[in-house]
Amino acid sequence: MNQTLAVVPSDDDGPTRPLALPAPDEHLTSPATRSILRIQQSVVAALRARLMSLGFIELLPPLVGPVTDPGVRGSKQVDIDYYGHTYKLMTSAILYKQVSLHAFDRIFFVAPNIRLEPPQTLETSRHLVEFHQLDVEWAGATYDDVMDLLEDIVVHCLQRVAEDCATELQSLGRALPIPARPFGRRLHRDVIAEIKSHGGIQHDEAEISWREEAVLSRDSVGPFFIRDYPKGSRGFYDREDSRTPGVLRDFDLLMPEGFGEVASGGEREHTYERLVTRMRETGENPAKYGWYLDVARRSGIPASAGFGLGVERLTRFIAGVDEIWRVHPYPKLPGMLAP
Amino acid sequence: MTAPVPVGLRLEAPGFPHDEVRRRAVCGVEAVFPCLLNSAPAYGRAVFGETPGRGAVALDGIDTMRLVPPVLMPERLEQLIELGREPYYADVDLSTSIGGFASSLPVFVSAMGSTATAHSEIGTRLAVQAARAGIPLVVGENVCAVHGYDRRSSLHAPTFKERAFMYVDNLAGGSGGLVVQQSTEDADAELWNHVYSDPSFHPLVASGRLAFELKLGQGAKGCSGGITMVDSAAADHLADRFALEAVNGGTLLRISAPGTFTQDILRSQVRLIRNNFPDVRVWVKLPPGRDLAVAATTAWEAGADAVTVDAASGGSGLAPTALLQHLGLPLDACLAQFVDVAGPLLVSGRMWEGSRAVKALALGATAVGIGRAALLAVAEEPERGLLNLLAAMALEMQLLTAALGKYSIARLGREDLWP
Repeated sequence: MNQTLAVVPSDDDGPTRPLALPAPDEHLTSPATRSILRIQQSVVAALRARLMSLGFIELLPPLVGPVTDPGVRGSKQVDIDYYGHTYKLMTSAILYKQVSLHAFDRIFFVAPNIRLEPPQTLETSRHLVEFHQLDVEWAGATYDDVMDLLEDIVVHCLQRVAEDCATELQSLGRALPIPARPFGRRLHRDVIAEIKSHGGIQHDEAEISWREEAVLSRDSVGPFFIRDYPKGSRGFYDREDSRTPGVLRDFDLLMPEGFGEVASGGEREHTYERLVTRMRETGENPAKYGWYLDVARRSGIPASAGFGLGVERLTRFIAGVDEIWRVHPYPKLPGMLAP
Repeated sequence: MTAPVPVGLRLEAPGFPHDEVRRRAVCGVEAVFPCLLNSAPAYGRAVFGETPGRGAVALDGIDTMRLVPPVLMPERLEQLIELGREPYYADVDLSTSIGGFASSLPVFVSAMGSTATAHSEIGTRLAVQAARAGIPLVVGENVCAVHGYDRRSSLHAPTFKERAFMYVDNLAGGSGGLVVQQSTEDADAELWNHVYSDPSFHPLVASGRLAFELKLGQGAKGCSGGITMVDSAAADHLADRFALEAVNGGTLLRISAPGTFTQDILRSQVRLIRNNFPDVRVWVKLPPGRDLAVAATTAWEAGADAVTVDAASGGSGLAPTALLQHLGLPLDACLAQFVDVAGPLLVSGRMWEGSRAVKALALGATAVGIGRAALLAVAEEPERGLLNLLAAMALEMQLLTAALGKYSIARLGREDLWP
């Protein structure tokens, strides 16, 4: 396996796919892997420190539950036998994040997630089957508040890693850009119009296609948000704007240089009636979500906003490596068997 | 689990013209002529005309309508000029596009679910023949929930994946496509996500020959959800996912939730399929309701590649008599709702021969679905039953379309039908 690392190339064809991943001992002894894993440690430490300084409480994340996040584009949940009942491994802890606000107003997890991604996501270079999210939720916040927060912790993180891991970044040949704040904030509908004006193929009511996202990311000089996704493109918990029906108060954060999306978030639906209605709109059977809806009906779910930031994706951007598998000690790629 | 019907055992279809379908399954195109009917005298020793009341047992408006050609045929002249000779029936092109798939005929095999007849060897032979014929096949709701995704839940019943690949592995050329229906219970089991993330389906996805069908209801029982009978042993592994009600001794009714739809819910669900599964086609199946134009238009505008309307004459594994006899609209009343709206519309409901299909196409449908006829044909003649039935249907469609002075099924229109 060629261990030479490179920044995502700027040609349209994208990076070359590995036919097979290196064996764990080969991967873990590579100097590049060691540099990247040291960077990742610094990333997690920096994010934790900043959130704690802002009053956020870290909770340990749940691993399994009777239901998990259904709002994950095309991927399959992992079923496990839980005393004779089918339980799910967490695709994200969104439901638990919301309910955790009964304990504290500001919480976060560094949560392991698993999603059996469709094989075609192999082409994005940024999909791992098993990965970690920094999962943040903030009671009473708007999505503007959490976009500000996300900007803040990302910039702090980049600054700290640049200081703490200068040697590792140098060994990877990475000149890490520290972006200026505020990040760009673009409306989904404007992005769609721009894609179409360049002859791109994109449905109005859908998330940005992988191909177009790569182009947008490559052409951007800094990180930017895409906000206000249309209903029908996200999970039931992304809150619909009461003044603009059909538009969700949510966002994605995209990094520049072709690295693409690293975080998604938004305000949350939280009233029982809205949750049940939105579940039907996303093809879900509310009966599955009994425990969550019981909480919503019995004691309410606090209004909130939050986001999930991909730890491996942010590390990949910071380290400037082409393929996401390089930043995980035991990478699992879509459709491929791996240890 | 109810024992499956083995191939070779006579499958019954009360109220359906089963004897004529069986004849077609065995004789193929020869069966389109009355002289080969068992009771009819042979050619040369009799003369033939219309036989009132023959054909379908229960008549609806489609059966009573007449296909009426003009005497003067400018479209035949166009064809004459193009061919340089007088056109005849074989010049009618039946190949078409159904819900985003190329198809050799304007015919597809409608959804068949988890009932005993559909999960037996008949179901797998049917899938093989549909693939060889180059027409799309819908795998019905609850096949996965009841029979398992890839591990058999009973010895005799093929899993969802076995059934799907019996079709996929026999596809040849560019025609046909697999349509996977999902119900509320299937959604709980994430059937679509399972298929989409399964590497073995990836070549089908990449070749654009996979569709997902969102089911809002069906002809035989409207929006009332699915009902079938299971025995108590089978009920054990279903109890987590279905409402079960004991009816008699060890038999239980397995009841599926119909699912609630509003215009907003339908629009959002279709958009979400497009968003989450960008490389599949999207089909939507509607029951024979009174607001079809609004529902179909909503689905089309949200990005559906096809809307199927299953008329009240549609078949079912099981449904209460009160629903079968009194719920929903007949096919002609369904199609009458589409006079002012147009889109890729598929219809089903007691389809088995060419004239009903041609009439449905003339009333705005782009293709017709066959269900019971396909099952009966394969049960009667396991090797070629469906192929023979389709050959007879195709011949009749060509004969009737040519008789109307048209050589493309896309040219059929309401002017060709008289009440």
